Amino acid sequence: MKKILIAALFASSTIASAQQYLTREARLDFDAGSPLEDISAFTQSGSAVYDAGSGKIGVQVLMTSFQFKRALMQEHFNENYVESEKFPKASFKGTYSQGKVKGALTIHGISQELSVPATLVQEEKNLVLSTKFEIVLADYSVKIPKAVANKISKTAVIQVHAILKETSR
Amino acid sequence: MVRLYSLLLFSLSLLTSSAQEGLFDLLDEGPEPTQYTYATFKGSKLLNGQTNETPGKGVLQYIISHRFGSFTDEYLYNFFGLDNAHIRMQLDYGISDRLNIGIGRSSVLKTSDAFVKYRALRQSTGETAFPFSLTLYSSLNYRGARYTDGIAHNASDRLSYHHQAVLARKMNQNLSLIAAPSIVHWNLVPSPEDPNDTYHLMLGGRYKLTKRIALTGEYAFSSNHLYGTGATEERFYSPLSIGVDIETGGHVFQFHLSNTRAMSDPLWMARNPYNAANGSLFLGFNISRVFNVNQ
Repeated sequence: MKKILIAALFASSTIASAQQYLTREARLDFDAGSPLEDISAFTQSGSAVYDAGSGKIGVQVLMTSFQFKRALMQEHFNENYVESEKFPKASFKGTYSQGKVKGALTIHGISQELSVPATLVQEEKNLVLSTKFEIVLADYSVKIPKAVANKISKTAVIQVHAILKETSR
Repeated sequence: MVRLYSLLLFSLSLLTSSAQEGLFDLLDEGPEPTQYTYATFKGSKLLNGQTNETPGKGVLQYIISHRFGSFTDEYLYNFFGLDNAHIRMQLDYGISDRLNIGIGRSSVLKTSDAFVKYRALRQSTGETAFPFSLTLYSSLNYRGARYTDGIAHNASDRLSYHHQAVLARKMNQNLSLIAAPSIVHWNLVPSPEDPNDTYHLMLGGRYKLTKRIALTGEYAFSSNHLYGTGATEERFYSPLSIGVDIETGGHVFQFHLSNTRAMSDPLWMARNPYNAANGSLFLGFNISRVFNVNQ
């Protein structure tokens, strides 16, 4: 009985850890452009985790890792808009179930509830997470000066594409 | 037996719950990527001097600078010094994110100049952290003004050089500091006793008041203040400037008060004839505009 219990304990713990998926090479894109100005950036160094047992899912990105076409735009993004020195990371922490992610999206130090469609599909041994949604910049206190208000969209389209690999801790 | 059973169940539940709470901690684990410090300064120039910054790759930058007349020289008659302003224009281009070349023309002694600027080291945090930035800067300056000494001069007499190592550190998001040792070389000096090479140390900084407005200041020490002897004796003073940076999108406006009027490097740094202590102060500005010519 004792041996069985101990064996069961080990087995369950290994199952629990085997159900976690992780990547540090998630691709994130965002677009806050207008017809007057192309304002878009991407990064390939986002982190994403998923726990198949609980359905918990998390995505995190360093703001300074976003690459813009123009160096000055990238500087303004970090310095004037998202204040990367004060708020270095953006994150999503929530759950995935039935084609939807639900949870808290934190950008510029401000958390907002988010519930958007997403897909999480098995491809060979990996899980592929994809989602595309729109946020309102004002919800995250990202201030746009009047002088450039017609050049920058009031909303940003965010896309996530992450290939998560099974991980054991 | 029951006790053991419950103990095992308890430890099992503990294990699984800790595994779930720790899930989001996984996001923060792993190597911290190297992040290069950005926007140590708003512009590639501080006031008269250079910052560690260069425009990005494929960026064409135009800077127009004015230094107005003295407050003590018929100030209103000269429309606040505008009527006798000196001017410098600069056009430069970012060959890469670290290499920048440019040309300039100043009205003082009709000086043309060309420069090259290279960001050798960049301040960074994370995996490969580095505490400061080092930018190397060299300019070649050609005096276009005619000589009035009646001597036939070679073209090489008109040349002077400035080589500088700009050490900069962004202390925090508001405060950035510069220490920039440099050497000025003159092919021609007023008398044989005068040094052809003078050594300088510029100290400067900026403090941000808001996201887009900053206070700036710079001062340069010099190894030599006196040239010539007797009738040809000339005394020069250390340049001191204080200013305000205002950034609006692709422009940086820099307004300042200084004891300098010349804007080519060897002249403002090594041969500035104006003494701030005697009230020789001048208003001035630099305005930069960047164009993305190659994306």
